[in-house]
Amino acid sequence: MKRHVLLAAILFVALTLPAAGQAPRRTPWGDPDLQGLWTNATITPFERPAELSGKPVLTEQEAAEYEKRTNQARDADSRAGGTEADLGRAYNQFWYDRGTKVVASRRTSLVVDPPDGRVPALTPEGQAKADARAAARKRSPADGPEDRPLAERCILWPTAGPPMLPSGYNNNYQILQTPGYVVILIEMIHDVRIIPLDGRPHAPQNIRQWMGDSRGRWDGNTLVVTTTNFTGKTNFRGANENLRLVERFTRVDGDEINYEFAVEDPSSFTKPWTAAIPMTKTDGPIFEYACHEGNYGMTNVLSGARAEESR
Amino acid sequence: MRTRMFVVFAGLSLMCATTHVRAHHAFAAEFDAKKPIKLEGAVTKVEWINPHAWIHIDVKRPDGNVDKWMIEGGTPNTLFRRGVNKNSLPHGTVIIVDGYQAKDGTLKGNGRDITFADGRKLFIGSTGTGAPGDPK
Repeated sequence: MKRHVLLAAILFVALTLPAAGQAPRRTPWGDPDLQGLWTNATITPFERPAELSGKPVLTEQEAAEYEKRTNQARDADSRAGGTEADLGRAYNQFWYDRGTKVVASRRTSLVVDPPDGRVPALTPEGQAKADARAAARKRSPADGPEDRPLAERCILWPTAGPPMLPSGYNNNYQILQTPGYVVILIEMIHDVRIIPLDGRPHAPQNIRQWMGDSRGRWDGNTLVVTTTNFTGKTNFRGANENLRLVERFTRVDGDEINYEFAVEDPSSFTKPWTAAIPMTKTDGPIFEYACHEGNYGMTNVLSGARAEESR
Repeated sequence: MRTRMFVVFAGLSLMCATTHVRAHHAFAAEFDAKKPIKLEGAVTKVEWINPHAWIHIDVKRPDGNVDKWMIEGGTPNTLFRRGVNKNSLPHGTVIIVDGYQAKDGTLKGNGRDITFADGRKLFIGSTGTGAPGDPK
């Protein structure tokens, strides 16, 4: 009897899990096929909240409860916390598109390593630079557009990265492939990454770009993209221009890509760290987001700062 | 077990409260939390532009003069996915806007909430609106 149960269990696992030897989808020229429209919107927080320390994964029941509570809280007409907090939330929920579900793994953070789900502490050098940036922001928060965050200036969003992170809305991506290249169109803020796969070296060290310089290769069925040559101005989670980012895209099945990235910057972080954000199939189309088209917000922020100074 | 479950759920509700919200820009830098506004006016124009749509309304003052207000809304991309477009607010539609005025004192505000004159909410919360990512 026990043996029958065991056999049944093995059979069940074999039938329900994608078999290791199962051929992945391939392009006509034989590369693993990542093409399609994808979204990384999720309500799972980037770092594990302190309240859930020691609780890396939710049970199904807890996940359902968390989704229900989060979505209800976001939909509620909350004025809690006073007018400053209300204004900080900007709108009611209708204007946002942040997803309504936790990641399928039910993890309580997108950061998967270190195991505590938190970005490691900055090195003394990394902390000193972060403090200097914070002091500069405090000293001149809005003297000119250069003082404002990159997103407000329509230069770079965390959605494009790299790494590519979910944000308030427009968390949509289209992946296209040609022999020798992978192309990622990012709805926010209509950025495009064109990643060569031919093994060419990175750009010279003195060439620095907002989105760095990316090179891809296939590791079995996984696309591995290494990006270097960042500027010292993006400061992803406290990183500086020494950041070396390794992204891994693995198509799990027809509806999901497992997207992972490893952050290496020994000058900024006390240890390397990794996050995983699933990208799931979504319906198109992707709309253009010409970020500076009507960016009245920038003018209003600067004129608001002048008005405050004259008070 | 019951206690442990309670702790997890308590943690979950805190997690909800701290979930990061992010619009294109810092609304607290553009608008003044000390100047809440409630306006009733007729739509004269909708600017269907990135990064945020702007709704123009004529607001009659008690003395009969008309103030021309501009109300900042969300990204057209999201609104379009929710079935809203520039024709959803035809010229002359009377709306009530709840929000905060621009820090520079000009007649601009954020459209925290927008309702029609009969009290129907023009824009409601996310869940169940059929937006991408809604629970099926």
